[in-house]
Amino acid sequence: MPLSTQSQADDEQYVLVASLDNARNLSNILKAITFKDHAIFNATPNGLKVTVEDSKCLQANAFIQAEIFQEFTIKEDLVGFQVNLTVLLDCLNIFGGSSVPGVSTALRMCYGGYGFPLTLFLEEGGVVTVCKINTQEPDEPIDFEFCSTNVTNKVILQSESLKEPFSELDMTSEVLQITMSPSQPYFRLSTFGNSGNAHYDYPKDSDMMELFQCTKTQTNRYKMSLLKPSTKALALSCKVSVRTDSRGFLSLQYLVRNDDGQICFVEYYCCPDEEVE
Amino acid sequence: MATMSCVLEGNRVKAFGKAIHALSRIGEELWLDPMVKGLALRSVNSAHSAYTCFLFSPMFFQHYSLGSGSEQGSATIKCKLLMKSVLPLFRGLNSIERNVERSQISISTPSDRVTIQFFCRHGITKTHNLHFQESEALQAEFASHLCPNVLKAPARLLGDMVMHFPVFQEEITLSMMPLSVSFRNYCEAGNDHMKMMYTEMSLHPDEFDYFQVGVDSDITFCLKELRGFLSFAESHSLPVSVHFGATGNPVRFYIKDMVLEATVVLATLMDSEKRGPSQPIGPPNPTSPRCADAAALPAVSYEADGSKPQDIPAVTELITSSQGSPIINPPALMQLLSPVDDPDRLGVSDEACPSATTTPASTMICSLLFRALSSEQDDDGCAARLPVLACHSDAEEDMEEDYRRSPSL
Repeated sequence: MPLSTQSQADDEQYVLVASLDNARNLSNILKAITFKDHAIFNATPNGLKVTVEDSKCLQANAFIQAEIFQEFTIKEDLVGFQVNLTVLLDCLNIFGGSSVPGVSTALRMCYGGYGFPLTLFLEEGGVVTVCKINTQEPDEPIDFEFCSTNVTNKVILQSESLKEPFSELDMTSEVLQITMSPSQPYFRLSTFGNSGNAHYDYPKDSDMMELFQCTKTQTNRYKMSLLKPSTKALALSCKVSVRTDSRGFLSLQYLVRNDDGQICFVEYYCCPDEEVE
Repeated sequence: MATMSCVLEGNRVKAFGKAIHALSRIGEELWLDPMVKGLALRSVNSAHSAYTCFLFSPMFFQHYSLGSGSEQGSATIKCKLLMKSVLPLFRGLNSIERNVERSQISISTPSDRVTIQFFCRHGITKTHNLHFQESEALQAEFASHLCPNVLKAPARLLGDMVMHFPVFQEEITLSMMPLSVSFRNYCEAGNDHMKMMYTEMSLHPDEFDYFQVGVDSDITFCLKELRGFLSFAESHSLPVSVHFGATGNPVRFYIKDMVLEATVVLATLMDSEKRGPSQPIGPPNPTSPRCADAAALPAVSYEADGSKPQDIPAVTELITSSQGSPIINPPALMQLLSPVDDPDRLGVSDEACPSATTTPASTMICSLLFRALSSEQDDDGCAARLPVLACHSDAEEDMEEDYRRSPSL
């Protein structure tokens, strides 16, 4: 493969080199968080974390562990940069992104450090493309201070049961209201739109409910415009965990299997719109 | 306070959804009318040239009850919903088939809400509370048993016929003659005839379950508005009855089974002189009438006569305006709706309708048309005779046509 014939000497210049035989294992998961143009990349020896934020109220993170990559070499403890995510995705899909079985785009992603562009070597069927994407100094991702000790309610649902309701949510509703309770209605999604309201109820003993740990009745509203992008992550995932903490902050964690069956995670944090008792 | 509550099971939910799809092809509003004889869903298009009604008998439901908390006794609620509020709930018919075990629909006047609940697999429940407006009943009266022309055919036959017309084909013409029935596409004048593709299909009377020709006629109506209904009929494998008369009179399509019946009434164009290339193509009319501009639904009030042909269901429903046009004077409306034997009451002079053919049956019909007229035409002599229930703005050039397009009969 042309990419692997690059001499070792070239690699000396890079602080981060990550290779994938199938670029889709990166591009698919990045699509799940592409609701804004810019993304913060943070790489550690454990792997890659990509963060996208919206109006200081929403944060989405995609985690791709080092084990997913065929090669993952990092020279520092933390390498961070910011790139235009839309441009990055366009490059990853530069060969058209059609999924012909057996044919995939190979990727070698290299970063020289502060001030250097992100260099992508992409190869498909013997054709190699080199893309250099400008990087910026990374912003500091917001710390939502969401910790498991503060979690009041948690459920884990099979994504199958949420996919349809999420895709048919009434978009004329400004908010998505989530009610979690140890008693009826247990777990409820509600919208309040122009024609009326809608409620989706999931009982705690549903076979779609893998885990139900609710200690206190809580109803919180979140801006629909902030949460709607999470539908993409939901569509890719097989399971989702929904947690709220005592402040009403929402954490959605999606378990995503890539083309090779490996597991990656996507998570969304969202501030509540208003407290509803 | 009036209430209604009904429960639908499994595949009945899908059928109900399919009816909503058919209704959504007609109009932007949905009338729900719970009655003792069943739940009626109705819709009419903005030009009032197409009307459809689906009536689900109590047997269609696992459970059907009308609350009688009203002081007026038998007063029932008539509610009007926006189609765009209801259709999304039933959009994914395949998903409904897979997931929905049961559905409950209830109407409650104190809260002005229609509640539609879906009880799905895995214990999941979806509840939708929709606001409704109380409304006048919307009904169309159409005396089928007076129609000289009747066809009855399996939905499949009609479906196969219309399949040959492209999706963008707005109107088609159905021609009935003693020995054949033909369907062809209707071509708007002014189109380049060289670029049009003409499609014509003929059927022999034997292909129909029932064939009765009382008057040779060509009726041109909007196909688009019929497709949803035909699709519903096909999915239930029901035969479709078609009742119509002379050119310009409305046509009614009707299906019925043990638990439901459905009707579509479409206005037809008055001047259906346009024919396919088999006729010499003379200079086209500068403005050919279009279905959307056509004289709209007739409300026919008629007292049934004794002789009804077999197989023809009697239909008497009363048309009232759902929109409340400012033009019509209600007492005048009531006058016209009373049974009339006197053809002179029709209020239409012959010269206004040169193309109308009158048959014995049709002269007995007192017809009240929802005219598609713009308000400038109020002074029009013809309009003064015509009770107009609904306004519809027409293009200026159609004014001439409008005058000629007085109600016939």
